Amino acid sequence: MKKVIYKTENLSKSFSNGGTQQHVLKNIGLELYQGDFTVIMGASGAGKSTLLYALSGMDTPTLGTITFGGQVISDLNQDGLCVFRREHCGFVFQQIYLIDSMSVLDNVLCAGLLVNRDKKALLGRAKELFQAVDISEETQRKFPTQISGGEAQRVGIVRALINSPEILFADEPTGALNSKTGLDVLNTLTKFNQQGQSVVMVTHDMRSARRGSRILYLKDGAILGECNLGRYVHGDEKRHKKLSAFLAEMGW
Amino acid sequence: MRKSLFLARANLRKAKGQTAAEIVLILLAAGMMNLWLLLSFDYKQNFDRWHQRLNAEHVTVCVENSKAAGESVLDQSAAIDDTREMKDEISKILEKDVRTSEFCMDDVMCAGGKIAYNGGEAASNFIMMKKEDAKKRLIGKVEFLEDGGFAEGVYLPMIYKTGDIEVGKPVELTIGNHKASYLVCGFFNSAMAGSHNCAMFEILMTDQAYRDLEGKGYAMGAVLVSVRISDKSESEEFENMLNHEISARYPGAFSVSNSYALVSQSRYISQMICSGVISAMAFFVLLIVLAVISSNIIHYIQENMRNLGVWKALGYQSRQLMGMLLLQFLGITFFASLLGVLLSWLLFPSVNEMMVSQTGIPYEIHILPAPLCATLVVLSGAVALTVWLSARRIRKIPPIDALRQGIQTHSFRRNHVPLDKTRLPLQPALSLKTTLSGMKYNITICVTMLVLSLILVFSGLMLENVIVDITPFLNLVVGETADVCININADAETEFLREMEKDSRVEKVYLYHAQKVGHAGGAELLASICDDFSQVNNKEVMIEGRFPEFDNEAAVAVKYAREHGYRIGDEIRLNFGEKEADYIISGFTQISNNLGKDCLLTRKGYERLGSLSTLSYYINLSKNTKAAGFNQETIRRLGETVNQAQNMSEVIYGVSVVYISLMKVIVAAVLFLSITIIAFVMYLLVRAMLASKKKEYGILKSLGFTTAQLMVQTALSFLPAVIGSTALGLVASCFVINPLTAVFLRNIGIVTCTFRIPVGFVIVSGFGLVLFAFAAACLMSLRIRKIVPRSLLAND
Repeated sequence: MKKVIYKTENLSKSFSNGGTQQHVLKNIGLELYQGDFTVIMGASGAGKSTLLYALSGMDTPTLGTITFGGQVISDLNQDGLCVFRREHCGFVFQQIYLIDSMSVLDNVLCAGLLVNRDKKALLGRAKELFQAVDISEETQRKFPTQISGGEAQRVGIVRALINSPEILFADEPTGALNSKTGLDVLNTLTKFNQQGQSVVMVTHDMRSARRGSRILYLKDGAILGECNLGRYVHGDEKRHKKLSAFLAEMGW
Repeated sequence: MRKSLFLARANLRKAKGQTAAEIVLILLAAGMMNLWLLLSFDYKQNFDRWHQRLNAEHVTVCVENSKAAGESVLDQSAAIDDTREMKDEISKILEKDVRTSEFCMDDVMCAGGKIAYNGGEAASNFIMMKKEDAKKRLIGKVEFLEDGGFAEGVYLPMIYKTGDIEVGKPVELTIGNHKASYLVCGFFNSAMAGSHNCAMFEILMTDQAYRDLEGKGYAMGAVLVSVRISDKSESEEFENMLNHEISARYPGAFSVSNSYALVSQSRYISQMICSGVISAMAFFVLLIVLAVISSNIIHYIQENMRNLGVWKALGYQSRQLMGMLLLQFLGITFFASLLGVLLSWLLFPSVNEMMVSQTGIPYEIHILPAPLCATLVVLSGAVALTVWLSARRIRKIPPIDALRQGIQTHSFRRNHVPLDKTRLPLQPALSLKTTLSGMKYNITICVTMLVLSLILVFSGLMLENVIVDITPFLNLVVGETADVCININADAETEFLREMEKDSRVEKVYLYHAQKVGHAGGAELLASICDDFSQVNNKEVMIEGRFPEFDNEAAVAVKYAREHGYRIGDEIRLNFGEKEADYIISGFTQISNNLGKDCLLTRKGYERLGSLSTLSYYINLSKNTKAAGFNQETIRRLGETVNQAQNMSEVIYGVSVVYISLMKVIVAAVLFLSITIIAFVMYLLVRAMLASKKKEYGILKSLGFTTAQLMVQTALSFLPAVIGSTALGLVASCFVINPLTAVFLRNIGIVTCTFRIPVGFVIVSGFGLVLFAFAAACLMSLRIRKIVPRSLLAND
């Protein structure tokens, strides 16, 4: 029996748009499990990113509750959400968003020192993660503008994982990368997931979605369907076909 | 031009808050500059206008005429003959001198006197004249500003209309040793004798009051000589000549005189100090404005590199883009300067009222185009130059590189404060990173804090040396002070000293007599004569060399000595009447009683020129002795041998209250301006920083940094520059403040200021400045609340 780490009830999100209310998420009831690689898919405007922001505490829902490990995070104020994010979540952005004025290593330590003041232990963890994503020490001393997009996104993953978060959110992590570097990033995420890291990823790329163990399909702000693929195995055609069939069923 | 105008308008619309803050800063600079120009130029001209309107004297001498007739004036006809003879003699002197344009002589009475003023007393030489005689005068006319039409009483100079003294109310005058009460009939103005700062103070009397006073014998009969000369710049030399000639003919006669040069400066000391401070403030604020504008432009270029590239790609030339910035900032400057000038005009009536209460010369407020134009030209010129120098970088931007962001908008060649190595906690480490990578912010802060530190030290200096305890200021400006000054007839000196020695209330008594002497070929100097200068209370007047000890030595005012190329050890020739004597300069003094035309002589030294008919003794009294009671008792004991007894603390209070109130206003204004400037500069800097780091703050928030953490981080990032420049500014200001203050006071003969620097105040206010800057930065950083990570993500 998988452990539930996230639970949402009647999760709704509306935006005011020129006097009219736009309902982006509609009464979503959802459970996310520890160790899963959950992929949220859907067409543009389906609400997948909005769901990700709400789950990660980047945004607050209009209605409904989000519970993380018994804590209702939808009731937290902005500062409470900040603390929640730093202690429980990691986030990988499509546009990477490293801080240009800091070196690669500082970008990672900046997030790490916010939670962990044991610098020695933190440096050890950073070294371990950098090795895992194949970022050399020389690269760690460089500034984000001096490294490639693929390297930058891998640094982004290291930054997201530095505090050993219970869940890693990734918003189109390969969206700004070419296919080669995108593949590297997906391999990295898969590797960490297979080491036990829970991952929630938003994508509209089927190649990326294949890495997921559980696929949620959103349409017009509601979950239209769900598909369980199981653990990712490279070259498993059955998983591929199952995903293709599911997506076809969803109207992808 | 139209293209540049279009871009400038677009920029202004985009940065309304920044524009508003810049407008406030420019407005303050323009307001102060215009106020300074109004005070320094037209105020001085206002005196000349009044002088001209009243056909006032360039040189005035009042000579006692009873001495001319010998020791006793027994009958009226003898006195009239003596007066006529004296007038004839003086006429001959004046007619002989080609510089004389016109002159007149009037019969007056003269005596040292006192009047209640500003809660204390004002002491001067009273010149009492019949009102009707004054009205007939063609030279040195008086203008009646209020007239109650009473049959008997006195008319006083307008400066003494202080609330307690009003038309229809009685006023008590101390004439010589005698108190007399008169009804105030009205107020008038006189250019050359309308204040206690003029060396003589005119009082007009109704015929009956004049005759009564004459009968009482409180004042001596005198001739008032009023002369206009062809070149007013020679007024001091002419005064010297006239005094020299008169004292040669009437060696024992008491005389008092003034000149255009002396009065035109001495009546405007407050205005001079005020305009000096305002001018310095105006330039300091302008400096801050220029630093802020330069920082904003550099920031604008960095943040709009892509847009500039787009405009260049669309065909805009560099000069058009620079023209856009020029138009934008010149437009703001012109608009804000006009508002500033308007503000100064709104404030001017209050400032004017304050100044008029101190100069005693009415000033009619009117629109002055010259200061307005000068303000606009100086500010626009300075801003245009700054914009041009700061915007030159636009010329070097190739459009394609800018479009591709190929030009690094930020230079991150060095990783300041690497987090893996630093021992600092995370927040200070991140703040320090921001500090070290944001030099343009640091420069603006440094300029602001250095200027504000100087202003703060100046405020502290004035607080310590004028407002809290005015003694240091008085020591510098007035020279010697004691509790009591008693003027006696010279022949009663032995008896007087015997009485003083017997009196247990007297702690110290010493001769300190002021007497005008001439400098051969130069101006008239006010000699302070003392038997033994080691007795004087204020030894700080001697700023170089030593006090004169022998009869062939003199100490000379440093300003006068420098103007005439004298050094210590040189000889200076002084004269009085027909006698001349050479003195070795033993040292330089700094006394501004006679606006820096002073000297010190021993009594024996002075006696080489003449003898003193009256002697002023300064007395220090024991702690609990009341000066007023002591004076009354001394007059009672010594009778008519005492010419005048002054309670010096009352006199000093009466005069100093003017400076204290002026300084209070200046310090309050200066502190208010400092706070406003910090707030606006911090607003501009934080705003610019938030604009350029919006994405970074969004990332940090998404990583879990709270708003409070980021606010403190932002405010902390300014602290190294704030603390460094404040500390440096305060220390440097402590060294330069006295020389700088001396520059403001140079016109009154001060070349070296030795004011106490209030170290405690400086340290505490330095902390206050830093805390306020930090608090202001925190407050301005509240905008970080509005940065939410969602918007960062949604932007994509």
